Amino acid sequence: MRNSRILGVGHYVPDRVVTNDDLATLMDTSDAWIQQRTGIQRRRYSDDWVGAADMGATAAREALERAGVAAADIDCIVFATLSPDVDMPASACLLQDRLGIGGMPAFDVRNQCSGFLYGLAISDKFIKTGTYDHVLLVGAEVHSTGIDLSTRGREVAVIFGDGAAAVVLGPEADPRRGVLSTHLHADGKFAEKLWLEMPASRARPRLTEELIAGTAARIFPKMEGRYVFRHAVTRFPEVIREALDANGLQPSDISMLIPHQANLRISQMVAMGLELPEEKVFNNIQNYGNTTAASIPLALYEVLEAGRLREGDLLCLAAFGAGFTWASALVRW
Amino acid sequence: MRTAILGLGHHLPPEIETGGVRRPIAVEPVGPSALAVKAASAALTQAHLPVEDIEFIAFATMTPDVTFPGSGCFFQHAMGCGTIGALDIRAQCAGFVFGMVIADQFVRAGVYNHVLVAGAEVHSSGLDYSEAGARVASLYGDGAGVALCGRTDDDRGILGSALHTDGRRHAQFWCEYPASRQHPVRMTVDDLRKGRHFPSIDLAAVRSFGEHALPAVIQEALQAAGLHTDHIDRYVIGHILPEVGETVGKHLGVGADRMNVPATRHGHLTAAALPVALSEEVESGRLGPGATVCLAAAGAGFAWGAAVVRL
Repeated sequence: MRNSRILGVGHYVPDRVVTNDDLATLMDTSDAWIQQRTGIQRRRYSDDWVGAADMGATAAREALERAGVAAADIDCIVFATLSPDVDMPASACLLQDRLGIGGMPAFDVRNQCSGFLYGLAISDKFIKTGTYDHVLLVGAEVHSTGIDLSTRGREVAVIFGDGAAAVVLGPEADPRRGVLSTHLHADGKFAEKLWLEMPASRARPRLTEELIAGTAARIFPKMEGRYVFRHAVTRFPEVIREALDANGLQPSDISMLIPHQANLRISQMVAMGLELPEEKVFNNIQNYGNTTAASIPLALYEVLEAGRLREGDLLCLAAFGAGFTWASALVRW
Repeated sequence: MRTAILGLGHHLPPEIETGGVRRPIAVEPVGPSALAVKAASAALTQAHLPVEDIEFIAFATMTPDVTFPGSGCFFQHAMGCGTIGALDIRAQCAGFVFGMVIADQFVRAGVYNHVLVAGAEVHSSGLDYSEAGARVASLYGDGAGVALCGRTDDDRGILGSALHTDGRRHAQFWCEYPASRQHPVRMTVDDLRKGRHFPSIDLAAVRSFGEHALPAVIQEALQAAGLHTDHIDRYVIGHILPEVGETVGKHLGVGADRMNVPATRHGHLTAAALPVALSEEVESGRLGPGATVCLAAAGAGFAWGAAVVRL
């Protein structure tokens, strides 16, 4: 059975840079407080009517160009987001519209911070089985319209940023190259530790004027930060070791680790636990905040731009976040 | 080696009268994950498998319990499934076919042996039951269907499938709000008062799309399976307009006795429509081992798909 391989990566980040000092004018926070707890210095916010699919389309065009694959040759589109452009249909459908293509299946994966890796696992399997040759996988988020920019919402609001990135996957005949394995997990016991409750189909009605007016906090994401931190620093190394074990490899075999950019302190603890030197772990949360489903491909784009990944390198991707969900993948570049 | 449906289950809440028709409606404040839990136990029993043997969940819905995380996470915990992966997908009316085909990839790639594929919806909490929205609201129902999909070396399972989407027509059948693309907030009180959070459907366009797309995608799945229309014991058609199911039967030259159009009985259950209807057929004994079925759905996106499965 053949492998899949990442043929090209593209990205898009909005022009509008929002610094910690900018946020401090809206809420009771400070640059020092945000940096100390998260490592974040700035993030990007999209413009009005620029949705996840719009940003995803720009990222996709770049990924297609770098992959040398025409949009019409895409066999399947997988779109990971937790901030879809519209309630329904899926952002993948709007992406097709923006790219001016149709016919190939397109659907959304809604797995929060692990969305990109769940999407990668699906894309990889479609290629492995020979069902599809070229899969476009996009991760894109517009958080800025859904966060509470008052002091009440500061714990979550300072973390999130908007952005998009995309990869094009294609077949790889050499079983030692490309995506080596993917590992997916969840534990819904902790669903309410990091969540956005409303609107909710289980609430009757789903939406009220009170919620929309923003007076009820349930319309904004909520996080029990210390709880998330504690689970993240356990699950990240665990799922990375699971991937290494599945391939008979050691942490020292990793050339580059790209952890989902949730919090710089989490990434640092994970790297320390695996005894990975600083130069083998890539972080860009300082500039973009947590872009959820977009964070891993956005980091991968910058790793490639910086020339820090060479043929034959072992790339490890790992994520943890809301759900809780967590996941990893090993890629021989 | 193929992926078979090893067990099926469904759950429909009690019917209540709405807009002159009776529909299964979850009057309690429950989400699709809770309905899917009720559907899943029958699927496990039918498959003679303990819950510990489930290795992955694919949950298809367009009406998630909460905005995030996905309904699959709530379902996974309620099922006692430990820390297995729980995927949430959005492919609207075609969600179940997409979910089953994704499960099929993981099984055939040798990653998982047993995957629970759920299609579940609670539409009623998001519909406009006023006079203005009654026509659309009366088309929907709430419910859940679950298929336990697993590896088999027998002469059964998914024999062929086809998936399609054309997002260029997304605004002909959509629910625009809340919209993350709108700044500074995803929805205003004015948007709410205008009812822009209710589904909006160009019924004529959706009808004509279904009448063309469904026969074509069924033929495509049949071709992939190496079968002809006559080889199929039952066609299960998921479309919001029941009359489209009848038209599809005529296009295919298939008699009404071989057509199952769940929207006729329950209203449209979107992602739940196909597994509910198939589960009903198996539960009633009308279909059993060896029967060959074709599951096909088309709707918002536009997304459409079909799968030919031998039970």
